[in-house]
Amino acid sequence: MIIQLSILFLLLLVVPVIVGELFIRVDGLAENILFHWVSGQFLLWAGFQLICVPLILQERSFGYLVKLFSGYMAACVLLAAAARIRRPLRHGEGRTAVRTGHLLKWGKSHTAAQAGHSLKQGEGSGRTAAQTGHPLNLREACFRAAGCGGKNRGTVLWLFFWGVLLFQLAQAVKMSYGDTDDAYYVAVSTITQNADTMYQKLPYTGGATVLDARHGLAPFPIWIAFLARLSGMEAVIVAKVVVPVALIAMTYAVFYLVGRILFPEKGRRLALFLVFSEILVLFGNTSIYTVENFMIARSRQGKAALGSIVIPFLLLLLLLLLKKIQQKERISFLFCVLMGTVTVTGCLCSTLGALLVCLALGTAGLLAALCYKRPGVLVPMALCCIPCLVYAYLYLVFD
Amino acid sequence: MWRDVVGLFRDYMGTGMIFIWYMITLLYLWINERRKDLRILFVYMPLILLLVYFNPLFAGLVYRAAGGEVYYRILWLLPVTVTIAYGCVQISGRIARLQAPGGSFFHGKEGLLGDLFSLCMAGTIALSGSFIYSSPLFSKAENIYHVPESVVHICDEINVPGREVMAAFPMELVPYVRQYSPVTCMPYGREMTVERWGYYNPLAEAMKQEVIQLETLVPLIRQAGCHYCVFRENQKIQGIPEDYGWEKFHETDGYVIYRDPVTELVIP
Repeated sequence: MIIQLSILFLLLLVVPVIVGELFIRVDGLAENILFHWVSGQFLLWAGFQLICVPLILQERSFGYLVKLFSGYMAACVLLAAAARIRRPLRHGEGRTAVRTGHLLKWGKSHTAAQAGHSLKQGEGSGRTAAQTGHPLNLREACFRAAGCGGKNRGTVLWLFFWGVLLFQLAQAVKMSYGDTDDAYYVAVSTITQNADTMYQKLPYTGGATVLDARHGLAPFPIWIAFLARLSGMEAVIVAKVVVPVALIAMTYAVFYLVGRILFPEKGRRLALFLVFSEILVLFGNTSIYTVENFMIARSRQGKAALGSIVIPFLLLLLLLLLKKIQQKERISFLFCVLMGTVTVTGCLCSTLGALLVCLALGTAGLLAALCYKRPGVLVPMALCCIPCLVYAYLYLVFD
Repeated sequence: MWRDVVGLFRDYMGTGMIFIWYMITLLYLWINERRKDLRILFVYMPLILLLVYFNPLFAGLVYRAAGGEVYYRILWLLPVTVTIAYGCVQISGRIARLQAPGGSFFHGKEGLLGDLFSLCMAGTIALSGSFIYSSPLFSKAENIYHVPESVVHICDEINVPGREVMAAFPMELVPYVRQYSPVTCMPYGREMTVERWGYYNPLAEAMKQEVIQLETLVPLIRQAGCHYCVFRENQKIQGIPEDYGWEKFHETDGYVIYRDPVTELVIP
């Protein structure tokens, strides 16, 4: 079990964080390790969708997909590592393990414990290390790693946030939600891991069937089966215990990044924003249709990932895009690629994802073009929607 | 269809209190928000999306392409959580700036009133919503698989290495069986547990009866090629299973498993 969990830790956390290095030039915020994690995972998800759907339609084996996608993942990791090596180290980067007010940087950083002994107090107090000359103690370093650093840092709020987050993650392991949709989605993962076929068996009963291409266009359960195959853990445990923990944490990572744009000072207000977000999620069970309900109760289903990760991350990218337009910055090709990975991931999660993502992009694009008088912005956004249109067309063909 | 769209909106809102807070926040941001990017994404875009949601032409298209059951997901595009959280922090900061520095439980230098507002808003949101873990669908997981322990024990008992087996289960276990065991096949599945889908299966109907008639059930079980049939321990049964050649195979977690030897079970 420990080896299996370690492999899943690598696949769900370490690999995406490494792959996220490829998007480091998208924005200043992209240097944050949480941005690495989320953007890297989106690149992996998008690649999975692009590799998996053609194989499903060709009725190829699941084992073949595992080989191809593992190759893709390895290629992404190598590319990211090469990009990291080629990128010149910025001043002081090698020494700075903990950036004030937010999380640890990835790369040639020290660990938090090392940081506790060696680092100097930084920008949080408004003074540089050289100016203050006080070494950080371990407690301070840990606080900063947890996002509690800086002046007016709202330590109580940060502790509350982390406490409630841990509570939610523990509940994801301890509590079971009786949703009968799992009879389809989790069964697809279990069958795929066991039978080596994709969408060729009836998940409800087990009989053989013709290819279920309509559901095969959004193969999120196959991604879970992939994790199960690589880790050796049973797909039902991956789906119901491991994936919810990872995806709930990722949702809050996206909220954190959104908060960083809304409250760039990173201190108490950011913590308060996250605490309010948690309260709204925890008390968001106003109906079974809310995105909060899906996020906590049905997090292993692709539609939950669509509502709680893909759409908020799209909102984050739209915030970055509008900021760039406002500051008359060039919209880089890499940014468009990242936006494209989000649209493709929307299709991976749910067949309705294509529509939702295009609708959001279209509305935001039109508003941006009108409000900033920049009609040119519509071109990259329209290009990002092309994968969605292809999947929507396939959906209509197979429906 | 218009009625369906409005009905879905009402269902989505639940009590509607959180949505009211969202609307109030939108109004606040409409009046006070100066950042153009935030006005676009937090005010204009949601309002346009709401208009799109209630547009009968658009609804008609989505209903035709994807079905009406999922139409509410358009509302997921409204950034309710982010907007309310952002609005609350902004208002709290604004109130805090109005107050002379006095010290507070939270941060010592800014206004007590801002903190009080935050606390009140947190309480109000909690009272307006519903605690997610209080949902009756949540229960303590019985095992690491998050399926009933009875399903695990029954499947482990009837499974044969190297082949699939066919078994008829009581309706309450049906949704969980194939999540745990992909080699346990069933003559009917979860579709029989959702009445509004309108599926009909005579075997499932026979298993759903308050008093199961073996005279009706046994031929259907054999026709479906079931190796096993599972009953609740307290299930009322008309007839004696052994009279039909069935053998009591195992008892576990309040369920009785019968083996029907008529359907051959060749172990590879």
